[in-house]
Amino acid sequence: MAKLNQKLKLKLKYKDDLFKFILSIFIFGIILIFITVVAIIIYYSYPAVSRFGIAFLWTKEWNPPKEIFGAATFIAGTFMVTIIALIFAIPLSLGIGIFLEEYCPKFLKGFFTIIIEILAGIPSVIFGVWGVLTIVPWLRRDIEPFFEAHFSNIPFLKVTENIGYGILAASIVVAFMVVPIIASITKDALAAVPKITKDGALAMGATRLDVIKDVSLPFSYRGIYGGIILGFGRAVGETIAVVLLIGNQAIIPKSIFGVGYTISAMLANTFTFAVISPIYASSEVALALILLLISLIVNIIGRNVLQKVIGGKLSRTQFGGG
Amino acid sequence: MADIDKNNKNNNIDKNNIDNAIDNNKEEIKIEVKNLNFYYGDYHLLKDINLFFKKNSVCTILGPSGCGKSSFLRTLNRMNDYTEGSKLKGEVLLDGKNIYDKSIDVVELRRNVGMVFQNPNPFPKTVFENVAFGLKIHGIRNKQFIAERVEKCLKYAGLFDEVKDKLHKNAFSLSGGQQQRLCIARAIATNPSVLLMDEPTAYLDPASTATILDLIANFKKFYTIIIVSHNIQQAGRISDYSGFFLNGELIEFSKSGDFFTRPKDKRTENFITNRF
Ligand SMILES: Nc1ncnc2c1ncn2[C@@H]1O[C@H](COP(=O)(O)OP(=O)(O)OP(=O)(O)O)[C@@H](O)[C@H]1O
Ligand SMILES: [Mg+2]
Repeated sequence: MAKLNQKLKLKLKYKDDLFKFILSIFIFGIILIFITVVAIIIYYSYPAVSRFGIAFLWTKEWNPPKEIFGAATFIAGTFMVTIIALIFAIPLSLGIGIFLEEYCPKFLKGFFTIIIEILAGIPSVIFGVWGVLTIVPWLRRDIEPFFEAHFSNIPFLKVTENIGYGILAASIVVAFMVVPIIASITKDALAAVPKITKDGALAMGATRLDVIKDVSLPFSYRGIYGGIILGFGRAVGETIAVVLLIGNQAIIPKSIFGVGYTISAMLANTFTFAVISPIYASSEVALALILLLISLIVNIIGRNVLQKVIGGKLSRTQFGGG
Repeated sequence: MADIDKNNKNNNIDKNNIDNAIDNNKEEIKIEVKNLNFYYGDYHLLKDINLFFKKNSVCTILGPSGCGKSSFLRTLNRMNDYTEGSKLKGEVLLDGKNIYDKSIDVVELRRNVGMVFQNPNPFPKTVFENVAFGLKIHGIRNKQFIAERVEKCLKYAGLFDEVKDKLHKNAFSLSGGQQQRLCIARAIATNPSVLLMDEPTAYLDPASTATILDLIANFKKFYTIIIVSHNIQQAGRISDYSGFFLNGELIEFSKSGDFFTRPKDKRTENFITNRF
């Protein structure tokens, strides 16, 4: 009997080790994929990087026949879409998060939460198609004529071509894609505020608004900040919806109504043609490298922030006791 | 706290009646609870509670876990307003006025009835801002007045010497006992006349507990204090009145001397002797 047990144990031990081994292979695989991605991007972008140098970042021309390549227009478009999208998305998401956690009746909260989760999971091409069918005509018919009539002397709001497509259309749709992310993280961060701390403020005569302002937001701002970083990451790399909406012209937009191009949209549209010339292809990969660096940097910042939040929670529970 | 009051009157900035003087002693009874019934949905928790709290007395509420002590305490400053599905019948008269009356301003009620919780629950702000919080939300803007008041309340809570160099540090950097005294300082900053304390020393070490019990003994001069406690010895030592709750009923309520030496009800006696 003892012998049998011994055998069984050995067998289990063997199984356990095998399991560990397989898992390690998976982990290695993931690390390998990451390294390969970075290495390949660096390797293939090298010809362009060595030829154009750092000036690649601020060269505005993108001229394959002349073999002059610069990323400035795409970087500008990428940041414009991202920033305008976040300007729309942040207040909206905070509003939704605060409403859901602090004001929404219980029976509606679950329903809204599911809607938000579903929105977060909808493929981006669908958002793009929706934008073409609704946002573009709306901008063309109502918004652009209005701005043309009233704000035509404000540079950043000047309407050049009244076509609906452009930076603003892309930004609005990207904002809708980012809202579910930031809103649900805001909601979770607010939900993590200890009830006893909120009760403490209410028991002093604070109104709901006082509690949100003075307790809930100060308590959860790091989490919300992390959510915004994640939203930024999503917005900066968003491709398909932007391709459909931004107008796809390699110029630096002078107005939010202007057309433009983002790095991801450019790659999606032209990378397959770029193989005709090695330096053309390499320049496109150099664009990819820039996008990769932006998203890595943003991710690292976001990760640090999230870590601090978790750290903060731990240190708080130490004080709180039971 | 008396000198704080004087100070405030001299400054004459008391828009929200932050300091209602404690001198008006003609009314002996501070709070009277009449036929109080309280429900969580269909669950009838508190049943026909009748009792009163005398001005400037300390009263301890005792009872086994789950008997409704915290729920009872929360009916006295209407914190139960925020519990979805809860329902209350009966009256709670504070200075003769029913706090559940439609005309009652809940913000003013809570200014007047302070609460200290079982766990220290400082706000995610500095030590200074924690104590100033009540003043700010009640509309006081005078910086100098706030600063003086914060210092006085911290002194009064026996915390000032320990935190005078940390006033602008986050309150979470204080120890648990310090945090709880900070919460007490915060609660008295708006100069309430009643202090509700739900097991204020439950999670503190003996030294911090002793400090807070001393505070409570001192506070009697200024406030009517109602404490929920699990510690029978403590209750006997610091309180003038004691009440015993069991399954949502008030079994016994009397002067602490009688309560502990000659309990009228067998269940009270069992509870006391089992714990001694
Ligand atoms: N928000 C709520 N909703 C429903 N039931 C509740 C709620 N809060 C408390 N109860 C119930 O009411 C009863 C009394 O709770 P309460 O917290 O008042 O007891 P307690 O005497 O303070 O206990 P303890 O000594 O453990 O703190 C318990 O059975 C509890 O489950
Ligand atoms: Mg309790």
